[in-house]
Amino acid sequence: MHLRFVGIVTVCLAAFAASVGCQWIQPLAVPGDGSEIVPLPGQQTGVFTTARPTFGAAVNDFLNRRPVAEQPLEFPHDIHVGKEIACEFCHEGVTTGPVAGIPGVRTCMICHEAIATDRERIQQITALRDAGFDIPWQRVYGFANEDHVRFNHAPHIRAEVGCETCHGDVGQQTVAVRSVEHTMSFCVDCHNEREAPVDCLTCHF
Amino acid sequence: MDRRTFIKLTAITGTSATLASCGNPENEFIRFVPEEDIVQGVAVWKPSVCPLCAAGCGLTVRVMDADAEVVREGQLGLVRIAAAKKLEGAPEHPISRGGLCARGQAAIQVTYHPDRITQPLKRSGDRGSGQYEAISWDDAIAEVVSRLDTLESAGNQMALSFVSGGRAGHRATLVDQFLSRFGARGATSYQLFGDDVLRRANALSFSRGQMPTPDLPNSRYVLSFGADFLGTWNSPVAQASGYGHMRQGRPGIRGTFTQVESRMSQTGANADAWVPVAPGTEGVLALGLAHVIMAAGLLPGSSAGRAGAIVDGWDGGLADYTPEQVAQVTGVPAARVERLAREFAETRPAVAIIAGPPLAHTNGLFAAVAVNALNALVGSVEQPGGLYFTPQLNVAGASNAAASAASPSPSIEALASGVLAGESSPEVLLLDGANPVFTTPRAWRVREAFEQIPYIASFGSFLDETSILADLILPDHSFLESWIEGVPESGSLSAVASVAPPTMRPLHETRATEDVLLEIGRGLQRPLDLPWQTFEEMLAATFTALPAPEAEFDGWTDAQEKGVWSGPLPAALVREATPAPVPDAPLAYVPPMFDGDAGQFPLHFLPYPSSAFLDGSLAHLPWLQEMPDPLTSAMWSSWIEINPSTAEALGIRDGDVVEVTSGQGSLRSAAVLSPGIAPNVVAMPVGQGHQTFTRYASGRGENPVDLIAPMSDSTTGALAWAATRVRLSRVGPADGRLVLFAGGLREHPEEHR
Repeated sequence: MHLRFVGIVTVCLAAFAASVGCQWIQPLAVPGDGSEIVPLPGQQTGVFTTARPTFGAAVNDFLNRRPVAEQPLEFPHDIHVGKEIACEFCHEGVTTGPVAGIPGVRTCMICHEAIATDRERIQQITALRDAGFDIPWQRVYGFANEDHVRFNHAPHIRAEVGCETCHGDVGQQTVAVRSVEHTMSFCVDCHNEREAPVDCLTCHF
Repeated sequence: MDRRTFIKLTAITGTSATLASCGNPENEFIRFVPEEDIVQGVAVWKPSVCPLCAAGCGLTVRVMDADAEVVREGQLGLVRIAAAKKLEGAPEHPISRGGLCARGQAAIQVTYHPDRITQPLKRSGDRGSGQYEAISWDDAIAEVVSRLDTLESAGNQMALSFVSGGRAGHRATLVDQFLSRFGARGATSYQLFGDDVLRRANALSFSRGQMPTPDLPNSRYVLSFGADFLGTWNSPVAQASGYGHMRQGRPGIRGTFTQVESRMSQTGANADAWVPVAPGTEGVLALGLAHVIMAAGLLPGSSAGRAGAIVDGWDGGLADYTPEQVAQVTGVPAARVERLAREFAETRPAVAIIAGPPLAHTNGLFAAVAVNALNALVGSVEQPGGLYFTPQLNVAGASNAAASAASPSPSIEALASGVLAGESSPEVLLLDGANPVFTTPRAWRVREAFEQIPYIASFGSFLDETSILADLILPDHSFLESWIEGVPESGSLSAVASVAPPTMRPLHETRATEDVLLEIGRGLQRPLDLPWQTFEEMLAATFTALPAPEAEFDGWTDAQEKGVWSGPLPAALVREATPAPVPDAPLAYVPPMFDGDAGQFPLHFLPYPSSAFLDGSLAHLPWLQEMPDPLTSAMWSSWIEINPSTAEALGIRDGDVVEVTSGQGSLRSAAVLSPGIAPNVVAMPVGQGHQTFTRYASGRGENPVDLIAPMSDSTTGALAWAATRVRLSRVGPADGRLVLFAGGLREHPEEHR
C-alpha cells in the first residue's frame, strides 16, 4: 500500500513537471578530459523535441479539447464587416492559396494609418507597429496534426462556398469564435450535397 | 499492477496534467513585425547548391512561412520568416539530375542546428576550453585587421597561413587572391580522403590533373578498383544515376560491373563479381590484365600512348605480369585474371576506375597509373563509355581576379612540423572548412602545432576539434543564407558552374565569409584592392562572362534563375591543365610498405569514409547519425568489420568489444562480423569519435584516424591511410555500444548472433 502511494505521487509529480513545460536540457559538447563545456553566447542550451509543448497539451489533444483562443486585443469583426470590407481584403491568402492567413499589423495599418486614428485601440496598435511588434493573434480554426487533413481554401472559394458556411456569421462577432465545429461529418455532408469528391485522398494526404 | 490501479493512476495523471495545463503559454508570446511580406501556406522552390561535398549537386529548396524565435533589443519573441524547409535534387542540374543523396537531404540541419555558432566570439578561457564571449562584428574584424597590419608593418606577410578544405571554386579563388595580394602563400588544403594521388596520375598519364568523370551510362563493362563510386567517392549522385542507366536504362543491354577490393563497400555490394585482392597490389592486377590483353594480341600495347609508356616494362608487353605471377602477388587466381582481361578487352566500351584504398598505399601512384594505362590500352579515354574529364572553368580569369595566384603552400604536415621545429611559425592562422586536428594522424601532431600558433581565427559554424583552438570565431552564414556557388571538377561531360542567391534571411548574427574577407581586405593599412566589393559582384563577373544559353537573357540572370550554368566553354575561359613533366624513369611496381611488423601486427587496417559522415565533417547532423550504414545497419556508433574466420580464431563473436592496436595507439570498439572482408583485413568507418563537435557527435564512438601511421605515397607524399597494420584482441562481451537497425547481416544469419 505504501509503495503504491509513493508510485502514484511520483507519477503525479512527473506529470505535473512535464505539463508545466520543464525543458529537457542536454549537455553540450563534452571535451575529452570530461570537463563540461559552457554554452556559447547566443546558443540554445537545450532542445525539447516532442510533438506537444506540454504534457497537458498532449492530453487535451488526445481528448480533442482545444484551448479557447485568447486574443491580445478585442478585434471588432462586426464593425469591419459592417463597413462592407470583404473578408479577403485582410485574409488575403484565401483566394490564392491554401491558407487564408491571419493578417499582421501591417495589413491593419494599410487603412488605419489614416482612418480612425483618434481611437485608443488604433493608437495602441500604431504604437506597437512603431516599436517593431506585430499582434500575436491566436488561431481560432484549424485541424490538429493527427487529423492528417490538408485543407485548401482556394478551391472552396472558387466553388463559391460562402465564408459563413464554415466560419459562422463573423459579422455578429467581435473576436472570432469557433461557432462551427469542423468535424468530418460536417465536411462530408457538404461535399455530398454539392457533389464534391469524397475520396479519402481529397482531404487526407 | 492490477487493472484497477492502472485506471486510477491514469485518471489521477490525466487530471493533474489537465489542471496544470490550463494556462495557454502561446498567449504570452511576443510577435515582431516580419522583415518581408510572406504569403502564408504557399511554398516557393528556390535553387541552391549542396555544400556537403565537392560534387556540387544542384538543390531545389522548398521555402515557406515559419515562425522563428528571435531576440530583438533584448526581447525574446516570434517573427514570421520565409524558411527553407526541404531540400531536393534540382531536376535541371547537369550533375545531380534531380537526385540527391541522403547526406544532401540532411544538409538542411546545418542551418537549424541547435549548436550552430550564432555570433562572433572571442576566446575568454584557456585555449581548447571552449569558453568564449560575445564580440561585435566591428570589433572582431578590427581585431583581425590589426593582427594582419602588424604582420605587414614587420614585413612578415608570409606569417599568415590559411587552412582550408581544398575545394575549388569562387570562394577558393577569392581566398587565393586575398593571400596573394597580402603577400602570403596560398591556402594549405587538407582532406583525409583527398584524391591528390589520382589527380597526379591523371596528369602523368593524360596531362589532365583532375578527377575523372566515368561515362557510366554508355559503358557496358565497369571494372572498379576500390572506387566507392555509388557511395562516397567523387560525384556519387551523378555516378549512381549513370550506373542505373548502365544497368537498366538501355533495353536489352545490361552493363557488367566487377569490383576489386579487399573490403566490400556499398558499391562492391552492387557488383556482379567481387574480387578480393591483397592490399596494395591493385596496380599489379591491372597490369596483369594489360599483359593478357597484349599477349593474346587483342590490342597492341602502342595504343596506350603516353599512359602506357610511363609504365615500366610496357613496351616489352609487361613480361613480368603473367597471370601466374600476378596470382602470386595479388591472390587473384590466374584463371580469373585471364577471364577478367578478356571480358574487359572484348566488351566495348569498357571503363576501369580506381580510387579509395588502392591509392592510399605507399605505391598508390603506381596503381593509379597502371589503371590509367589499362584504360588507354582499350581506348577508353575521352570516348563514349570511358573516362572523361569535365572541362574546367578558369574562375580567376572569368571573375577578373587580376592578381596572379598565390605561391604554393606547405602541406598541413609540413606546416605542423615547421611550427614544432620552430622553423617557420605562422603568426596568424585563418581556418575555413577543415578540421585537421580530427583528420590527421596523431604522429603529425597538428594539435600541438596549432596550440603554439599565436593567433587563430576560424570561419566555421560549429566548434570542432580544430576550431576550439581558435582565438576568434567569425561564423559564416549557412549555405541557405548566403550566395552559394560551385565549380564541379567532375560529374558532367560538359563544363558546369553553379550559383544561387540566398534562399532565406540569416537566422543569426552571422556573415558570409567571402564578404568578411573582402571587408578585412579593405580595412588593412595597405588595402588589398580586391576587384570586388562583395562576393555577389565576383559571381556576377563570372556569370556575365559566360555565354548565355538564350539570347534574351544575360548569363548572370539566367544562371541565378536556374542555379546553374552549363555548356561549352569559350576557349578564353578554359582553365589550362598544367602539363605534368614525363617522369624521369618509368613507374615500376614496388611492394607496398606497411607500418608495423607483420608478426606483431598481423592484420591490415582499413579506415574508410563512412557513408553518413564522409571524413567526419558531417557527424554533427543527427539525421545522418540516425542513418543506418547500408552494409551493417549500424547507427549512432562505431564498429570494426572482421572476417568471421579471423574472428573465430581470436574467439570474437558478433558485437563483442575488441581492442585494435597499431604502432600509433589503440582503441576499443564493437566487432561486426562481415563475410565481405578479406581475412587479413579489418576495417573501420571514419567519422565518429569526435571530442568536441556539437551535442550529437561529441563523445560518440571512436576515431580510427588515431591508429593511422604517418605513411605516405612515395611519389606524391599524400597520406597513405591504408598502410597501417594492427592486431586485435577481445576485451569483453557486447556492452550495448553498437546500435544496429537490423539484427545482423543477411549473409550469415542466426549462428553468429
